[in-house]
Amino acid sequence: MAKRKDPETRYYEERDAFFRDLAHLDRRGFFKVAAAAMGAALASGVTFHPRAFSMVRVAGAAKAPAEDFSFAYISDSHLYTRDVNDRFVNALLRAVDDVNALDPQPDFVLYGGDLAQLGQPAELELGAQILKSVKAPVRMMVGEHDWFLDMGVKWNALFGPETYSFDHKGVHFVVLQSVHEEDFWTARGMTPMERMMTVAGLDNGVQSRFEVGAPQRQWLKEDLAKVGRKTPVIVFSHSPLYHYYEPWNFWTVDAPEVQALLDPFDTVTVIHGHTHQVLTNRVGNIHFHGMLSTAWPWPYAPEGLPALTLQMNRPDPFNPQDGCGDGVVHVGAEGLVGKVYNLWNRNPVQVPSTYLASRGKKDRPAAPTRTSY
Amino acid sequence: MMRRRWTAGPLAALALATGAPVAGAAENLHGAMAMAEQETRLDALLPERDVTQAPPGIDPVIWASLIPADNAMTPERVALGRKLYFDTRLSRDGTVSCATCHDVSRGFTDQRNVSEGVGDQLGRRNAPTTLNALFFQTQFLDGRAPTLEEQAKLPIVNAIEMGQPDGPTAVAAVAGDAEYVRMFQAAYGRAPNYEDVGRAIAAFERTLVFLDSPFDRFLAGDAKAISAEAQKGWVLYNGKARCVSCHQINTANPLGSDNRFHNVGVSARHQDFETLAVQALAALAGKEGEEAVQAIDELALETDLSELGRFLVTQNRADIGGFKSLQVRNVGITGPYMHDGSMQTLWDVMDHYNKGGEPNLYLDGGIEPLALSEAEIDQVVALMFSMTDDRFADENARQMARQRTTAASKRPFRDTAIAQRRVLPFEARLKKEQ
Amino acid sequence: MRNPKRRGIVIGTTCGVALVVVLGLVTQGSRAVATDAGRDGTIEVALCDGETTVQVAQAGKPTAAEGRQIADELMAKWRASNPGTDWVAEERAKHKIVEPADNRDLVGRSQGQTYGRISEQDVVGWERATLAMATRGSQVFHSADELGSTIAVSCDMCHPDAANTHPETYPKFQVQLGRTVLLRDMINWCIEHPVRGAKLAEDDPKMRALEAYILAQRKGTPLEYGKH
Repeated sequence: MAKRKDPETRYYEERDAFFRDLAHLDRRGFFKVAAAAMGAALASGVTFHPRAFSMVRVAGAAKAPAEDFSFAYISDSHLYTRDVNDRFVNALLRAVDDVNALDPQPDFVLYGGDLAQLGQPAELELGAQILKSVKAPVRMMVGEHDWFLDMGVKWNALFGPETYSFDHKGVHFVVLQSVHEEDFWTARGMTPMERMMTVAGLDNGVQSRFEVGAPQRQWLKEDLAKVGRKTPVIVFSHSPLYHYYEPWNFWTVDAPEVQALLDPFDTVTVIHGHTHQVLTNRVGNIHFHGMLSTAWPWPYAPEGLPALTLQMNRPDPFNPQDGCGDGVVHVGAEGLVGKVYNLWNRNPVQVPSTYLASRGKKDRPAAPTRTSY
Repeated sequence: MMRRRWTAGPLAALALATGAPVAGAAENLHGAMAMAEQETRLDALLPERDVTQAPPGIDPVIWASLIPADNAMTPERVALGRKLYFDTRLSRDGTVSCATCHDVSRGFTDQRNVSEGVGDQLGRRNAPTTLNALFFQTQFLDGRAPTLEEQAKLPIVNAIEMGQPDGPTAVAAVAGDAEYVRMFQAAYGRAPNYEDVGRAIAAFERTLVFLDSPFDRFLAGDAKAISAEAQKGWVLYNGKARCVSCHQINTANPLGSDNRFHNVGVSARHQDFETLAVQALAALAGKEGEEAVQAIDELALETDLSELGRFLVTQNRADIGGFKSLQVRNVGITGPYMHDGSMQTLWDVMDHYNKGGEPNLYLDGGIEPLALSEAEIDQVVALMFSMTDDRFADENARQMARQRTTAASKRPFRDTAIAQRRVLPFEARLKKEQ
Repeated sequence: MRNPKRRGIVIGTTCGVALVVVLGLVTQGSRAVATDAGRDGTIEVALCDGETTVQVAQAGKPTAAEGRQIADELMAKWRASNPGTDWVAEERAKHKIVEPADNRDLVGRSQGQTYGRISEQDVVGWERATLAMATRGSQVFHSADELGSTIAVSCDMCHPDAANTHPETYPKFQVQLGRTVLLRDMINWCIEHPVRGAKLAEDDPKMRALEAYILAQRKGTPLEYGKH
């Protein structure tokens, strides 16, 4: 006698099939599969909307302990004030438009850091004002461009503490300030603006390397002490929390120590900013996903690229928004994360949890056709 | 969208009533010049030359790369294709030929917003010109036909355009003509068939090279060939106005098109792309090969899904609302403009681009506000009018005068605040949704 | 200039500390003069200009490394108040600039031909001048102001360390320009569009310097003109 499957099981099977099929698609086939999946999903009472490029369960059945949900992200907007640069402002507005158009809406929106370009109060206020138009609740994370003019004074005033944690639908979220730098400015007698300009140059070798720092690591240790090993943990960090390319601060000095604190947990994911590119990595038990920038894309570094990363195609400079965008993160059963990069004017790039869970053997995202030079 | 109805003459009315095809009717069917008159004009336009060789001024290697292996150029094929191009018997009611919408006297298009076919039905898309069409890598605004051969065969069997139920029926309408039998034999060595209809028309269209304009003489070194205003326009075209990146003109590609598909936000404010995309996927689900080609052709011309553009062909999200960059050659005489013919003058086109198009979720990020002044807009428009082939100089002058008058009184697409970057494109959109 | 030997004696007697820092400073090419010990147990070490000073904790005999550190601090402070003097070193402290080819093996090997008689001084001079041009390019490359950007954008925002500039692929058909171009044409296109500044004249020293810097960063990459 065939076992009748409950809607929840059928939904998960259909979704797994969907992501499995994605692995074998070229771009042309993407929507054909999406349509088939949509049909199947519709049949079983689940809604699917191409605008979301995701499947979000609506039909109510028995809730798993870690109920699946999604959140969106917007990151690295590097705002100047409007009269200085309108392009970056327009791009952030476009990202807000994208996120507001998601249907159904995400549970919250993560702002991934570098809201301002030069840490100016006017830039941070402009960013805060624009983000007020986001319909879903916004969680803020700080980046080095926000921090090094006044060492976080304006940021704290606008957005509260830069380090915090919260729980949501059975997942423990931690937000770090992972762009501390050892003092390089006092000995040189730099003004705050000189310090900010130094940090603002990605390839400026005078600045120090990013770190979480011992005090914050201690805070993290104590925070995690209250979290059970089986509870999924998601860490928001601006710097990558691993070692990729030191000259561009695609690097966190004390990454090994931070990873050691996170490794004991069954399911850990780090979502990070700063790198302005599609970036995927796994170190030990920890999954890492980068976020896109709305302002400009970075090229891939000459060395140190994680083996699991499939580069996004080289952007076309005629389109200042090519290689930029926003995205969505799906948190599924057991807290495993599927990442969607919503690249403007390109097909979205999806990195399902099975890809990292299998260390790259299953469900590979699409390979690039034009890599960085 | 304006719907104009043209009264058919008595002969054509009889034809419509009885369904019998009528050849060589003298009246202006569907607003087109009479076929015989068009042919006379064409004789004056096209010089006698050896069609097997590249036209003067065209790189022979580029030329050779445009000719498919199974359709080499011969005088017989060109003559056959020409006869077919003007033959209204290829349509269901005998009133429409290729030349109806690609009229020799109207810039080889019909100078209407959207085209009109059998039964006076209106389609959804503006007719691209057959002038220089051979240089494109794909045909149609959404590139759904890879070659001229494939393009020619689709309107004949489209219900709105020429209305034939299928290819063989169209062939049967002309296969009884002994002259055609002789010509098909001379051209392809076989009896009339639908594939060769497409080939012959393509061969004829490959002779429609019209790249002899004042602009070309200017490029060749004649500093007085175009006005000082137009020369400033050329500087802007390659610079501040950002035209050259999608409308490139060079010896290898003389058209003024990158052959790519971009969503520049034409009519975007009227569309809910997401709903349309979902409908399109449903409509095209499971269709393959010929069936898919026909389905796309119908959807593109008959339904709201037409606005999805290239997406109908590729089903790539990145192609939603994307249409091919059309040629800038002879643009002065091939209005109205854009995929839906919604822009009547080149000033409208400039206003649209100057404000960064119409923001929508799929807008090509390369389209952004340009902050061009009125004088700069005039300069680029002057440049564009200078790109019309000398043989159409009179028509060009007429169109320029007409457009100038229209533009002087109304500029419906102008938005100076956005063009000058005082208001941002996506800002207006967010405000609207709050 | 005060007698360093006498100062050394003064240091020795007033602080009771043999400031080996003097040794370290001599190797660095600058000199420190120790003044009287402060009451809080620190010493103020001054540079020979008599103005630039740092406070040093009085904690026994400093090592050569500590001495070097004090010297570095002094020089950094002096440079901060006297910018531009060794602008090449300043720029190189901020941004990596690949060094030009080493021509030292040409020295003293001329076979009597006058044009081939290359000296050590020649080689040093060539290297310095070539590096200076590339370094100037780095300055312009990293400065929105020098580029004339109206939106505060500089080249390094999309091309850190001139990454992804691929100068070895020129001349090529550049799609954005719709024709075949050289590196300098693409630099100008980028200045006009992503950077939103005014085009540079082809022989503008800034344009030449930009080309120099970009080419320098790709030293050793095989030429491959036309590559997309």
